Amino acid sequence: MGFLQRSANMVTYEWRRALAKKKFYVLVILTLVLQIGLFALFSYFFTNPPPGFVGSPLEEMKASMWLVGVLGLQGLFIPLIAIVIAGGSMSEEYERGTADILLSKPITKMEYMTGKFLGGLSLLGFVIVLITILGTTLAYGLFGPQESIQFVPVIYLVLLYSNLLFFSMTFMFSEVFRRTTLSIMAVIGIFVASLFIGGILSMMHLMTQEQLYLEISKWLPNWSVSNLPSFVASELITAPESPFVSVPGGDIQLAAAIIAVYTIASILIAALKLVRSDVTKRTG
Amino acid sequence: MSPQSVLAVSNLTKFYGDFKALDSVSFAVEKGWIYGYLGPNGAGKTTTIRTMLGLLRPDQGEVQIDGVNPAKNPVHALKSVGYAPELPTLQTFFSGEQLMEFIGKMFGLAAQARKARIKQLLDLVGLKEWGDKKIGKYSKGMVQRLSLALALINDPLVLIMDEPTIGMDPEGTAHFRNLFTSLSKEGKTIFISSHLLDEVQRICTHVGMINKGKMVFNGLITQVLETFTKQWVIEAELKTVTKTMITAIKNLDYVEDVKVDENKLRIELKEKKDLRGEISSEIFKRKGVLLSLNLHKITLEDAYLRALKGDQ
Ligand SMILES: Nc1ncnc2c1ncn2[C@@H]1O[C@H](COP(=O)(O)OP(=O)(O)OP(=O)(O)O)[C@@H](O)[C@H]1O
Ligand SMILES: [Mg+2]
Repeated sequence: MGFLQRSANMVTYEWRRALAKKKFYVLVILTLVLQIGLFALFSYFFTNPPPGFVGSPLEEMKASMWLVGVLGLQGLFIPLIAIVIAGGSMSEEYERGTADILLSKPITKMEYMTGKFLGGLSLLGFVIVLITILGTTLAYGLFGPQESIQFVPVIYLVLLYSNLLFFSMTFMFSEVFRRTTLSIMAVIGIFVASLFIGGILSMMHLMTQEQLYLEISKWLPNWSVSNLPSFVASELITAPESPFVSVPGGDIQLAAAIIAVYTIASILIAALKLVRSDVTKRTG
Repeated sequence: MSPQSVLAVSNLTKFYGDFKALDSVSFAVEKGWIYGYLGPNGAGKTTTIRTMLGLLRPDQGEVQIDGVNPAKNPVHALKSVGYAPELPTLQTFFSGEQLMEFIGKMFGLAAQARKARIKQLLDLVGLKEWGDKKIGKYSKGMVQRLSLALALINDPLVLIMDEPTIGMDPEGTAHFRNLFTSLSKEGKTIFISSHLLDEVQRICTHVGMINKGKMVFNGLITQVLETFTKQWVIEAELKTVTKTMITAIKNLDYVEDVKVDENKLRIELKEKKDLRGEISSEIFKRKGVLLSLNLHKITLEDAYLRALKGDQ
């Protein structure tokens, strides 16, 4: 038994833990239903186009509807699922007093944390697979053959990578606060604040034409998370007029780097806290 | 502390904030012992145990299990340790079997060995019919039983249990008491915490007493009496007690002190000797009417209470 085996065993444990939550199923089902609803709306729009909205642009839109299916939920719903999975990951073991059972066994705290982190992340990856498959299938079924479909796997990986940010941040709060509700609320708070501040900054930018506001807003956690997948998509799909890949001047490297910075910082803080403190009981 | 001590705790000090929960606690447990760790509520038993397992970080001191520090090398130190926490809370989303399966994997047990062991242990703790039920449906005593089965899954050489029979029915308590004794006969080392002297007295070979974070006694159970008993006591009931009678008895060379409770005298002797004859003739000499006379050797219970008060 080595590091990998012991961590892998924790991965399966973490699946069981997260899958025992009703909250998780509710959110996943809600997300998938929303995706279907979104497509139903578009389908209605295409069959009953408003006047002046006919012809070839419409056909072009139809051919890249898979992107809507895959990327449409990135801004809000996938991060929410990430937050719910990671929120109880560390804290629940303290709240329930089950951390004692796990950490009194031959396993290091690092193996324990690695297993929990990768367990939650792989579960999130699985949910994103569901969303991706449903999105592309619906696009095919409702709007016929899709263009650039070969990029689905790359877009999938970029989605997963982008969601590392809020996943790790929640995971970190889960270990630092050791309270599930508090850590989920904290990250949702950060998420909302980040949206809000981002809005203010871009308004200031519009009013003053000052570039600095825009640069600052990019470091808010949700900018990179919600934009990286579409930046990559627009880079990959050489259809500049493609209507859904509309963010110009997307800075892929910057977004990827910001995600990495937040993720690594979160993991380090969580690891430090775990190693340097007592295993507590019943903080909830 | 010999180099081969199975459990060695030295100068353990632990603070919770400003509160000193353990004050330089030291003891060693050798192979085959059943060590009773005795102390009242809040004494620091659970704190000691959780520090021994590396769950709590001591402010000072060190723990070694078979020579390895579990806080530094848990993989090595804890592989042959079984631990049953105080009032365990187990993963309610697992069934008993599933949790045992998972913990078995944590110990690196092979699939075949796991299966057999799980079946055998569920049977041993009286949960044969409950193995496939979710732990969320277990009663308190059943969770306690499962927790003890979990502590045995790796066939541990050292068994550390924090008040293992709390919340268990008398039949269960007796069953596990026998189990612990037979495990110790197989050569396993057992560390058991309790606030019940009776429990410790029944099965333990050695005892450590802790009070307010300090060790007050550490040694053979048979030595507890020796250490904390300086004297025996004679209780005499008289028809009437007079001041002169009290002074006269107090002045006898072999009497340490006399306490009066209405017509009863509690005569504390200076030594461990049956001096009822001497006392009764003293009383008769002074025309006292003796109703009853009892020799009271101090019990382990008294010794324990004395140890806790610190009047060694
Ligand atoms: N997490 C904590 N934070 C602050 N104080 C604590 C904490 N855990 C325990 N204590 C305090 O430390 C002291 C020792 O507690 P501990 O649980 O070790 O006692 P114990 O001997 O196991 O008692 P019991 O017989 O009730 O189980 C108590 O005074 C308790 O209040
Ligand atoms: Mg206790």
